[in-house]
Amino acid sequence: MEKDIAIKVENVSKTFRIPHEKISSLRGAAVNVFKKKSYEEFQALDDVSFEVKKGEFFGIIGRNGSGKSTLLKILAGIYQPDHGKVYIQGLISPFLELGIGFNPELSGRDNVYLNATVLGLTKKQINAKFDSIVAFSELERFIDQKLKNYSSGMQVRLAFSVAIHANREILLMDEVLAVGDTNFQSKCLTEFNHYKEMGKTVILVTHDVGVVQRYCDRAMLLRNGKIMKIGKAEEVGNEYIYQNMSDEERRMRDEEKQKITNAEKGPDNTKGMELETEKKVIEWEKIKQEDEKRNKIAEITKVEFLDKDGNKKNVFKTGDDLSVRIYFNKNKPVENLNFGIAIFNQEKNYIFGVNTILDKVDTKKYLEKGYCQVDYNNIPLKTNTYFIKSGVFGDTDTIAYDFIHKSESFNVFSDDKNQGLIEINYSWN
Amino acid sequence: MKSHENYKELIWVLAKTDFKLRYHGSVLGYAWALLKPLLMFAILNFVFSYLFNSRGNGIPHYSLQLLTGIIIFNFFSEGTMAGMASLLSKSQLVTKIYVPRWTIIVASTINSALIFLMNLIVIAFFFALSRFMPSLEALLLFVIFSLFTYIIILAFALLTAPLYVKFRDLSMIWEVLITLLFYATPIVYSLQMMPANIQKIMLLNPMAFIIHFTKEGLINNHFADFWKTVTFVITVIVAFGLGVFSYSKLSPRIAEEI
Repeated sequence: MEKDIAIKVENVSKTFRIPHEKISSLRGAAVNVFKKKSYEEFQALDDVSFEVKKGEFFGIIGRNGSGKSTLLKILAGIYQPDHGKVYIQGLISPFLELGIGFNPELSGRDNVYLNATVLGLTKKQINAKFDSIVAFSELERFIDQKLKNYSSGMQVRLAFSVAIHANREILLMDEVLAVGDTNFQSKCLTEFNHYKEMGKTVILVTHDVGVVQRYCDRAMLLRNGKIMKIGKAEEVGNEYIYQNMSDEERRMRDEEKQKITNAEKGPDNTKGMELETEKKVIEWEKIKQEDEKRNKIAEITKVEFLDKDGNKKNVFKTGDDLSVRIYFNKNKPVENLNFGIAIFNQEKNYIFGVNTILDKVDTKKYLEKGYCQVDYNNIPLKTNTYFIKSGVFGDTDTIAYDFIHKSESFNVFSDDKNQGLIEINYSWN
Repeated sequence: MKSHENYKELIWVLAKTDFKLRYHGSVLGYAWALLKPLLMFAILNFVFSYLFNSRGNGIPHYSLQLLTGIIIFNFFSEGTMAGMASLLSKSQLVTKIYVPRWTIIVASTINSALIFLMNLIVIAFFFALSRFMPSLEALLLFVIFSLFTYIIILAFALLTAPLYVKFRDLSMIWEVLITLLFYATPIVYSLQMMPANIQKIMLLNPMAFIIHFTKEGLINNHFADFWKTVTFVITVIVAFGLGVFSYSKLSPRIAEEI
């Protein structure tokens, strides 16, 4: 193995057997000898290979159940891989959580000794580092108090302080930055950077893309136990966001399908008198609603998001073309209709709004088609979730015939490194 | 994995913490470690000395014999219980970090050994009270037997701690067996009360061997003959080997079972 490699993982696989019935008694085991073994196999890791260089800040991201914690446990030596090999150069910190062994009944001082010993330090080493550990945690005044009197933030500070003094060359961290106040977080970050300067390696497992993109040099995206992408933290993070959004899109589509099938199945499922009456009530409500609708001069029936080829979509990239299509029904004969469309982000910030009155659009063609459409070119929207407010009006925009307060949402993501609500073309000068 | 070169310190710190926390928050504190066997001694001594009159049966220094037996057996029962439950009760150290699992098992048994050492003071006190001084050889033998008791505890813990993670009713079974074993071991009675062939069978139980010959040594200055000793030592070695073998087979996958 080359000298600059800290961790090398080769074709590692790990399968868990999940019994349908967990046997945790001898009787159960005795009975089960005669039964067919029933369990499901769950492949947590499937032929995973990668390398981490020394001095790298490496992120592992993925959704729950993607195998990232299993991988970390294999690196730490807690699990044995079924296949494959793990090579590690340098002392690895074998812990995944902060404050292992912490006991609320002991004083802060005793807990430092306990925790540091568990992390592999000798008493002599702890004695030498004790002041520095306490100083970093900023808990000098409380160190002889019992741990149970600490706030959770204080406990984390103490635990983290011990962890970074454990003096390992490779640090494994599972979701540890999620806790602690911002002050302490930035302190940790500085400490991590300090680690990098010393040529130490940090491996961070999280499902927080922000953390990975902010802190890590390189990252790896796991999905169902396989490596989906490995490379620059920025790109891997974006891939993860995109993947999640596509999942969201799929879910929405599935839900819609489910609704339709449910509606089709509906009448067959009704049984008995109660359901019969219930059905009547529902029907009655429907009629009532339709009556109300008829009283409306016009109503909006559907909002759709389309890409530049006219395909329905809910995920866009910054700079993509986006079209919003508003379908409507005309219930009473009317001369003219006007439309307004406004984009909001999920924090309910008003981003952009247009309407046909101000833009003096001839809306006759919309009346024929049954929908109106706005094309936005190169949307300058930043990564977020957005929705539409939309209204249909007569000749003035004061009284709406119908108004949608919140449409279905669409998502935008981007690779940019800047911040704010919208993307503005810029260059440093 | 070369991440832990501080095994000794790790074991010691874990044992010390257990010891500190064991009687934590109780008014009498460490006194409980002494009170438990003492109370048992008081009851059994009353029942067998006065009600059944074992003294009349010609057992010399019955109370001292009883106390010695109870305290050794108490060491055994506490040690095996704690050892069996060690991995499960410290599951965080198994699933969230890599430390060699045997250090956890050893630490929990050391805790029982510390309590045993405290109890030795009680034995010494009662011997002094009776103005009885055992021979030097007997005292040396007592030390060796104490070490053997510890080895038996450790063997049992190595065997059962990984199994207990899977089969939680082991502790119930062991609790029942311990009670049974207490009466199958010559503690409240003397081995000589049994028929000769039964005596031979009983001595195959290493705890019976230890307690019987500790008592015999301390009180009567009698020692076990060569072949009995060889059988005993071999039994303990085999038990220990079994414990280590089972541990090495089961421990790699233990984190997944918890």
